[in-house]
Order: sequence, then structure tokens, then C-alpha cells
Amino acid sequence: MVKLIYSPQWFYGKDVIIDIVSICVLLLIAFFSINYYRIKKNRNYLYFALSFIILASSFLIKILMNINIYYKIIETKQLGIITVVYQSVKSSGGLFYTSFALYWFLTTLGFYILYSTYQKQSMQSFFLGTYLLFISTYFAYPDYRAFYLTSLVILILITINHSRKYIKKRHFTTKLAALSFGIMAMSQIFFILVDAANRFYVIGEVIQLIGYISLLITFIMVLKHGRKEDEDRHNW
Amino acid sequence: MAGKRTRTDIIGDMLESVLAKGGKIKPTHLMYKSNLAHGQMTTYLNDLIEKDLIKKVKSSNSEYITITDKGCELVRKLREIKEFENAFGL
Repeated sequence: MVKLIYSPQWFYGKDVIIDIVSICVLLLIAFFSINYYRIKKNRNYLYFALSFIILASSFLIKILMNINIYYKIIETKQLGIITVVYQSVKSSGGLFYTSFALYWFLTTLGFYILYSTYQKQSMQSFFLGTYLLFISTYFAYPDYRAFYLTSLVILILITINHSRKYIKKRHFTTKLAALSFGIMAMSQIFFILVDAANRFYVIGEVIQLIGYISLLITFIMVLKHGRKEDEDRHNW
Repeated sequence: MAGKRTRTDIIGDMLESVLAKGGKIKPTHLMYKSNLAHGQMTTYLNDLIEKDLIKKVKSSNSEYITITDKGCELVRKLREIKEFENAFGL
């Protein structure tokens, strides 16, 4: 039996808001990345946007699942019969499990594409990696720790990549991006521990939100930098 | 060592050179500033004029290249892209 609900009751719905914020940040950055691709014609922008769109889709699936689960729990809770709650979720379990597996696969795939954008590799290596991700989701499922561990490992690699670039070029926005991915990696650690206590889910979600907000700040800094130099130009 | 410049990089360098000179530059200066050979420079200039990014103006018996609003907008976008590249390591 897969555990479907990690959230404590008082946090129902709040995680949905956090996920909506994450989707907005991801889609905003993806949209600009596609626009930049149109100017630069560099495929890395396209892959970067693709990874963010896939991550946003995974969050969307998570939101739909959570709304569905919470709605059913709240609905049956009003009846005051706990066993009915269990049966209610179990009755459409097949769909939930498939959605969970899809959510897990899309999340790891999104991070993996993002990581692959930084590491030049052949198409064969990329497909091999994707295949291994799929297999690991399929066989590791329903152990959610495998999923969060995979995300953690990929996010650590992305953070290391950004940190190296920061050490080399000392750009403030690179540091912010490294920090954002580092925070996201940290949130995965708390998700791994969720079985010990439900509050780890809340901590994980909050840290994840901080990660996406710092990603948004990074992006705003990017735009601001472009505009700042634009203002300098108007002074001539 | 920096890699080979792409077409967008060259256009960006040309427009930045015009801006660095206060939005108005002589064609020969532009050629040196943007590290281009004469033939290449002519091709790029014609292309940029056609796309309304720069224009040629005559002032006190000399020919100058000036940047248009559309050109300024492209420079702003290219700076934004460069910062985006730096931030996200693309």
C-alpha cells in the first residue's frame, strides 16, 4: 500500500498554494528562455525551458492529486467515519498510483534534463539516463524515498555545477542560482524523512518554496541587470 | 580562450560599439571596434540596416552609423540574455 498523504491535516491546501507559486516561477522562466532561444538560436535555452515546463507539469499533476485526495478526505471526514476515508481513497487507488508515478517520473526527468543541459553528452547517453530514470521510478515505486533521493542527487549535481561556475566567473546571479538549487536540494532531505514525522513534509514544502522564490529573485536580478544597463545607455 | 563568435554575438558587439560611442560612429571605427574585416562588416551593416537596427546618416561631409530604437531594444535583450546565461550557466 502506497502512502498517499504526507501532509498534516492543518497543512491541507497550503501545499497546493506553494505548488502553484512554484509552477508560476517555472513557467515564467521557461517563457523567457523560449524567447531568448528565438534570438540566440542556441538549443540549450530550449532544453532549459523544456526542463522547467516538465517540472511545472509534474507540480500540476501533484496539485490535481492533492486536491482530489484532500477533497475526498474532507468529504468523508464530515461523515466522521475514518474507515470510509481509507476506502474512498483506495477505491480510485489505481489512478492515484499512476498519477503519483507520473509525478515522480516527470520531476526527476525535469531535473535530469536541466542537469543534461549543463553536461554536454550524446543523445544515446541522454536516452540511457532517461531510461534508467524510468526503470528506477517503476521498480523503486512505491518507496517514495527513492524518488526524493534521486531528486536530491541530481539537485546536488546541479548546485555543484553552478557553484563551480560562480567560483570561476564570480557573477552574483550565478551565486543566487546555486543557492536556489541548493535550497531545493535541502528540501528533498526533509521529504525523505517524512515517514518519521509529518512535520518534515511541511518543512520540506516551506524550504522548497524558499528555493523557488530565490529562483524568481535570481531571474528578477537578471531582468534588472539588463534594464540597468539600458538606463545607463539613455544617459548618453 | 573565448570560442568563435556567433552571428548574434557579432551583431551584439556591433550595436554595443555604436552605443559606446554615444549612439553614433564612423563605419571605419565600427569595423575596428567590432573586430570585423571590411567584407564581413559590409554584409552585416546591410543586414542591420535592412532590419532597421541601425541607419546611415550624413553629417558634416562624413558618413555615420546610428542606432535605432529597435537596435537599442535588441541590445537590451542581448544583455538580458547574457545575464541569463551567466545566472543559469547556459
